[in-house]
Amino acid sequence: MSFSQLGLVGLGLYLLALVVVAGVARRARQDASPADHFLANRGLGLFVVFLTLYATAYSGNSLLGYPGEAYRRGFSWVMATGFMMSIIVGFHLLVPRLRPIAVQNRFVTPGDWVRHRFGDEPFGEGVRVGVGLLMTVALANFLLAQLMALGHVTSEVTGGAIPYAVGVVGMASMILFYETVGGMRAVAWTDAAQGVLMLAGLGTLLAWILGEAGGLAAVTDAIARARPDAVAVPGRVERTNWASTVVLMGVASILYPQAIQRIYAARTGRTLGRAFALMGFMPLTTTLVVTLIGLAAIPRFEALGTIEADTVMPRLLGEWAATGPAAAALAVVVFIGALAAIMSTADSVLLSLGSILALDVVGRSREDEGTTRLGKRIAMVVMGLAVLVALNPRFTLWRLIELKMELLIQCAPAFLLALHWRGLRAGPVLLGLVAGTLVAAGAALFGWKRVEGIHVGVIGLVINAVVVGLASWVQSRSEVPASGRVGRV
Amino acid sequence: MERSPTSRQRLRRGLLVAIAVLYAVSIPWYREGGAAPEHWLGLPDWAAVAVVCYVGVAILNAAAWLLTDVDDDAPDDSGGGG
Repeated sequence: MSFSQLGLVGLGLYLLALVVVAGVARRARQDASPADHFLANRGLGLFVVFLTLYATAYSGNSLLGYPGEAYRRGFSWVMATGFMMSIIVGFHLLVPRLRPIAVQNRFVTPGDWVRHRFGDEPFGEGVRVGVGLLMTVALANFLLAQLMALGHVTSEVTGGAIPYAVGVVGMASMILFYETVGGMRAVAWTDAAQGVLMLAGLGTLLAWILGEAGGLAAVTDAIARARPDAVAVPGRVERTNWASTVVLMGVASILYPQAIQRIYAARTGRTLGRAFALMGFMPLTTTLVVTLIGLAAIPRFEALGTIEADTVMPRLLGEWAATGPAAAALAVVVFIGALAAIMSTADSVLLSLGSILALDVVGRSREDEGTTRLGKRIAMVVMGLAVLVALNPRFTLWRLIELKMELLIQCAPAFLLALHWRGLRAGPVLLGLVAGTLVAAGAALFGWKRVEGIHVGVIGLVINAVVVGLASWVQSRSEVPASGRVGRV
Repeated sequence: MERSPTSRQRLRRGLLVAIAVLYAVSIPWYREGGAAPEHWLGLPDWAAVAVVCYVGVAILNAAAWLLTDVDDDAPDDSGGGG
């Protein structure tokens, strides 16, 4: 049996398993409420929380985009291990304060926090809708990246038997099916299985690459001969970009709506803390591994184009499979693991998108079962639009991640500052949000990505925070009683 | 011996500061840009330093999370809920 035939069989079995999981999750549901559909009635234990966080964080971007970027940039992409870890470190700012409030007030979406914190104030509604819209745009972008990755993997690994467009449409339909039928339970359970597959697959692929090349030092020597710039010490702008990326990812990623919803969905706060303790090690077993895989592709595939570089992982799988039947079977396991990881991220994104648009942007009640139905319908429409865009890809996967993060990071004051600063009011937060978003989105529209290596989104966040600080100061001055101003004129 | 809440918080803060220091060291500010590296642990030396720093971050981060009290019954002092 050829590799592409093995791939098709493996794919068929995997899709069948998803249908079964969706059916079991459907039977396990307790009611049709938004809390049950979107948060599995807040009952996820340590093992499932950990694996669902893992499978959600490590997506098509990690499995295709990160090797592609390592191929393009060389060893400086070791920064990816650092910035993936900075996400878990960043959660220290959010989780200990947000979790108790979320549990006590039965939050479902990120917007519930904004509503709780600023709801009665002038401009409170504006902050909620603004945050909801930014999160929606970021999530739609994220979904697009996953669909592109699905198309690449299915096409490359089945040797073109499933074309890119069919892969995108077919997998999108499958995700819609099991997310709509099974909700958060189906998503979390499949995430857990997919996390295990991904870990096993990546480890095996790296072991083959290193074994064949004669060890890590031999791979580094081969890279140095093929592209000396890939091993050289990075220059000043690249180092600044390294620091900027750690900040961008560390702050923006903790505001991922699907990550925030997993904070709500964990059974207890202690469960969540232990899951985050474990999660800190996963960049070493996943991001570092995919970085080394991308680097090892440098001497193997010379002069791939910018977009083509995102396909180094499937190309390596194809080479591996050609070495014998056992390798072909293992390559299929990696392929299914990669596909599973991408689908697990896409389904989480879709679930969050439906809930945010229905609850935060449209403003439907979280107690109403009709809200669940509306969320599902919205998810279908967004998925359809994302499929249309994914059929004609124009950006690298990493550029899509940067664009998403540059918008998402503008929500930071509404969460991180608002959680730690009692006196913060909605007006300054909305003003800062608008200013930061205009800077980040405006720069992206004009094609400006970075200034001296610093992401325009990080510059936008600094402007956002300065505006929040200044507006709060002005507001506090105007709220001082008349008697308080005597003597200051 | 069980640590008091205050000493746990102090230790947790110390770990978070140490993590920040490791992040600063992981970026090769200390080397001339474009220079050819030596090998260490099979990697260019500056990349190996970064990986070692990130291993340290993972360990300190795990310790910090185990010292973090995520108390679901903690009072809401965020200023919200009005």
